[in-house]
Amino acid sequence: MLPRQPARGGGRRAVARGGAAAGGGPWRGRSGAREASSLATAVAPGPRVSSMASAPTSKYNSHSLENESIKRTSRDGVNWDLSEAVPRLPGETRITDKEVIYICPFNGPIKGRVYITNYRLYLRSLETDSALILDVPLGVISRIEKMGGATSRGENSYGLDITCKDMRNLRFALKQEGHSRRDMFEILTRYAFPLAHSLPIFAFLNEEKFNVDGWTVYNPVEEYRRQGLPNHHWRITFINKCYELCDTYPALLVVPYRASDDDLRRVATFRSRNRIPVLSWIHPENKTVIVRCSQPLVGMSGKRNKDDEKYLDVIRETNRQISKLTIYDARPNVNAVANKATGGGYESDDAYHNAELFFLDIHNIHVMRESLKKVKDIVYPNVEESHWLSSLESTHWLEHIKLVLTGAIQVADRVSSGKSSVLVHCSDGWDRTAQLTSLAMLMLDSFYRSIEGFEILVQKEWISFGHKFASRIGHGDKNHADADRSPIFLQFIDCVWQMSKQFPTAFEFNERFLITILDHLYSCRFGTFLYNCESAREKQKVTERTVSLWSLINSNKDKFKNPFYTKEINRVLYPVASMRHLELWVNYYIRWNPRIKQQQPNPVEQRYVELLALRDEYIQRLEELQLASSAKLPDPSTSPAGPSQMMPHVRTHF
Amino acid sequence: MEHIRTTKVEQVKLLDRFSTSNKSLTGTLYLTATHLLFIDSHQKETWILHHHIALVEKLALTTSGCPLVIQCKNFRIVHFIVPRERDCHDIYNSLLQLSKQAKYEDLYAFSYNPKQNDSERLQGWQLIDLAEEYKRMGVPNSNWQLSDANREYKICETYPRELYVPRIASKPIIVGSSKFRSKGRFPVLSYYHQNKEAAICRCSQPLSGFSARCLEDEHLLQAISKANPVNRYMYVMDTRPKLNAMANRAAGKGYENEDNYSNIRFQFVGIENIHVMRSSLQKLLEVNGTKGLSVSDFYSGLESSGWLRHIKAVMDAAIFLAKAIMVENASVLVHCSDGWDRTSQVCSLGSLLLDSYYRTIKGFMVLIEKDWISFGHKFSERCGHLDGDPKEVSPVFTQFLECVWHLTEQFPQAFEFNEAFLLQIHEHIHSCQFGNFLGNCQKEREELKLKEKTYSLWPFLLDDQKKYLNPLYSSKSPKFAVLEPNTVSFNFKFWRNMYHQFDRTLHPRQSMFNIIMNMNEQNEQLENDIKDLESKIKQRKSKQTDGILTKELLHSVHPESPTLKTSLCFKEQTLLPVNHALRTIEGSNPADNRYSEYAEEYSKSEPGVVSLEYGVARMTC
Repeated sequence: MLPRQPARGGGRRAVARGGAAAGGGPWRGRSGAREASSLATAVAPGPRVSSMASAPTSKYNSHSLENESIKRTSRDGVNWDLSEAVPRLPGETRITDKEVIYICPFNGPIKGRVYITNYRLYLRSLETDSALILDVPLGVISRIEKMGGATSRGENSYGLDITCKDMRNLRFALKQEGHSRRDMFEILTRYAFPLAHSLPIFAFLNEEKFNVDGWTVYNPVEEYRRQGLPNHHWRITFINKCYELCDTYPALLVVPYRASDDDLRRVATFRSRNRIPVLSWIHPENKTVIVRCSQPLVGMSGKRNKDDEKYLDVIRETNRQISKLTIYDARPNVNAVANKATGGGYESDDAYHNAELFFLDIHNIHVMRESLKKVKDIVYPNVEESHWLSSLESTHWLEHIKLVLTGAIQVADRVSSGKSSVLVHCSDGWDRTAQLTSLAMLMLDSFYRSIEGFEILVQKEWISFGHKFASRIGHGDKNHADADRSPIFLQFIDCVWQMSKQFPTAFEFNERFLITILDHLYSCRFGTFLYNCESAREKQKVTERTVSLWSLINSNKDKFKNPFYTKEINRVLYPVASMRHLELWVNYYIRWNPRIKQQQPNPVEQRYVELLALRDEYIQRLEELQLASSAKLPDPSTSPAGPSQMMPHVRTHF
Repeated sequence: MEHIRTTKVEQVKLLDRFSTSNKSLTGTLYLTATHLLFIDSHQKETWILHHHIALVEKLALTTSGCPLVIQCKNFRIVHFIVPRERDCHDIYNSLLQLSKQAKYEDLYAFSYNPKQNDSERLQGWQLIDLAEEYKRMGVPNSNWQLSDANREYKICETYPRELYVPRIASKPIIVGSSKFRSKGRFPVLSYYHQNKEAAICRCSQPLSGFSARCLEDEHLLQAISKANPVNRYMYVMDTRPKLNAMANRAAGKGYENEDNYSNIRFQFVGIENIHVMRSSLQKLLEVNGTKGLSVSDFYSGLESSGWLRHIKAVMDAAIFLAKAIMVENASVLVHCSDGWDRTSQVCSLGSLLLDSYYRTIKGFMVLIEKDWISFGHKFSERCGHLDGDPKEVSPVFTQFLECVWHLTEQFPQAFEFNEAFLLQIHEHIHSCQFGNFLGNCQKEREELKLKEKTYSLWPFLLDDQKKYLNPLYSSKSPKFAVLEPNTVSFNFKFWRNMYHQFDRTLHPRQSMFNIIMNMNEQNEQLENDIKDLESKIKQRKSKQTDGILTKELLHSVHPESPTLKTSLCFKEQTLLPVNHALRTIEGSNPADNRYSEYAEEYSKSEPGVVSLEYGVARMTC
């Protein structure tokens, strides 16, 4: 435990204001819950009315920000410890607190007190006219820098500059005398980057309890059974039970019935990192399949492997409706060729007679990372004004989204209408491949559009098949410039969001669900996204020692539900991947900017919910009347449909 | 018709310009006196009004025939391939003639007959009464009065007869001021804010040159500022860029010198002129895909067209205006050069922000009648109704509609009308089917005897009101008394449903709006079912109490539940088609909608999904 800072003036004042007598430092005294509610009411008058049109006043900004953060914390099911001024999770321990100046990019410097725990950085404004609160999980931090030196001039020039993974930066100024920032810097570094300090990631300390266990959501056997597997052509194999065949694949795989385990072993030698072609999804009617793998190890000399060729042919033959197997190589053609130099490559026509290969032109993780950086440049802290559209275009972010979506549409279209089995790979088959297979499955299979279905999809195509979350996100790692970082999963979620915009009734979940997933992708509060593959997770006993994000979500599903959702079976969604339909996800990428504040609640949603309620009322009334009328009719054959029949009957088309 | 040489061509192909596979429909092309009609092999009809044609192009002959590309003012682009060059040439020539009429009397409105009798027609024209509207605003009153100065169009030909001016402004002052204003368009009242007692006034630029003054004009401005009891200073908004205004000084025109006028605050707001707007739209249409579709540079193309920047400029000006009145309680005088383009945009949009009445269907019609039609926005020239000077054509009104659309996007609950209403109005400023938008000013319209010879659009729109209602409208909410739009860059978006309204493949696959409308319809149906059932039960009860429960009666009651069931079943099937009526913007005639076929075709799939055959899904331009 660190010694408490002697200067606690601000905290004391707050205590006095809060009216609780207990004393004993800033961590005691005020009722957090009470504070929250009083703040919330202070904020209540709509910001729109106060300021006219142009730039909103600073007051309005801080209010809305603060309001948002309060909502979010309570939304997350965090319990406010009544004896403390900050929210705390079970297992969360406080480390220190300090008076700082938060340099808000929207409202200028705000004096506040920052509280650091082993999970979060929490800041509360000490100024009477600002109710600003920051609540940032330390996992979100990618980089901490000192700004200015002990002798640098100018107001607020000495302090810390924190870069976050979620599209924002935080800047704190401290008093120049007496190395005042040293403690804070060291503590933040230690707890934000626990890996470098041999500390556990917070997820292992988290003692939250939920009434649902998210780890039980995905059971591969059940999921494959839902798909109708195993069947005559496909079998479930445990060949990778100990991760011997492929250390980045899950233990349980679905492979062609006619391929023996020995065949699989031989194929593995010809596929990058032994990631052999295995089944991801099977069409319930035409039995075409989506199969995923990594690139073949063709190399410069154009090596061939009879087993691999035969294996692909076996896959093609599992469905006899078309003469050729379609291979989608997610990469641009040139990249695929260039990969030959490092031993990789693609399936050539000569070697694979019964396959057609298409390149989908999706760029690699480095291109995506740079693209997102450019997005941040134009939206944070200030949104580019005069050249917004061309700046947005020059980030190429939407273009990448478009290519990923287009690729997935092609896969889905091929499987559903083209009636051809599809093999998808990129280089290692854990980034672009995961995007394509999961998006195509989302388009093809309405099950994945429900909340639990989507969780299963993520759990299956991303987590179990070894998307390298640890490397791509860098959980607890201080190497912010690591070349392995890349927003591939974010890009996938963005694509899902684009789809949900185009098909507002098709998804059971709402935008908040997607944003919550992204928030906890970084937060390290849950074990869900930790580590690179299943074998590593098993070794660390993640399911035993951490809580699943799905526990949080599934124990409070209502707030993640889309009111427009209409369950439909077997409808294939083909979004339009035209630039005219793709939008920047403002509510995510620009959410820190107080100017994007949208009408809450969403008026369309509100109206719809009203109409739904009205409809239910009418239906109920109708049923009552029917009962009333039928009660007087003795003849049973003429009695009207009972409620159980009535309800779904009316509901079906919605 | 002397221009029509060929009335029917068979085996014509209609290309889908957004299809990558060069798909086409084969059918027959007909040329009538008013429309071009294409009927494809599925009997689907595509009607194009001659007046809507902006440009006809005959492209180089290909192996499959002679391509004919028609661009319409409503942003439809059709690409025909006519098998024989001779036919193509004939049609091309006919369309050139038919789309550019020399006389007003040849326009569609003078022959269009919606089967109304004369009194209905007259009633239609009386639907919008501007005197009534000024009364609603609270004028005349102790500070503002009706002036008879322009009763015979003697002072200003392009103004309406009835004008409202400050009570203390005498006729000589008005006459003097009008001589000092371009085209005699002196400062008059456009909107009066009753609570703030502040006014929006409009005029044209002063003929100030480098140093000229006019005492009457100075007096008139002073009278306007005095008519505001709360705030003695007033804003003078010159909606032009400063450079343009200065350049006008060389031509003896210009802007107000703050030193000569007491109590004015002068402000430029920088909206570009009609020529800039015209070429901006031209560039926008290139992005929109007139000349093939280049995928990658949609956004930079959109930006370099400058279109959204211009929209923002207009919006910013209107916000400035509304703010001056709401926050500072000051009256505002708006002008540009002649005071009929940018001035109309800013005054009308400003009023729309301030007054929720203008956000109703009827109120919006009143607004257009007042600030656009009566104050002499030159619709015929700007829309190119006749074969005139192409330099006078400019999408000024389209911009206004787009600004309103942006507001509806930002404030989905604040408007009684929906997007279809805006699109329908846009359709008819070009269609020349109704008299409202013909001519360039009231005087010209009177001379054309439009009220006797043509019909007014508004009653037809009102009859079809249901189609144009916004299901999210909450009229009572005080939140939307005054709109304060946010003009941050990413709030300005490409209006897909305007510029791609005929490009079916680019339409959203699912529309929230239609879903809500369907839900509404369904609830109404349920409500009716409940009423039916209730009345039947009631009926039966009363009979029961009479004690005549006969077997016969039982039989008559029996069908009740099956009816109910079938009515619900039935609904299930009809629910999808319910929204057929929702998007018939295309139909240039709301009354007898013979174009509904097409509209039906693209609304049928909602709320379901456009089912695409194999390969089409790949089409991702």
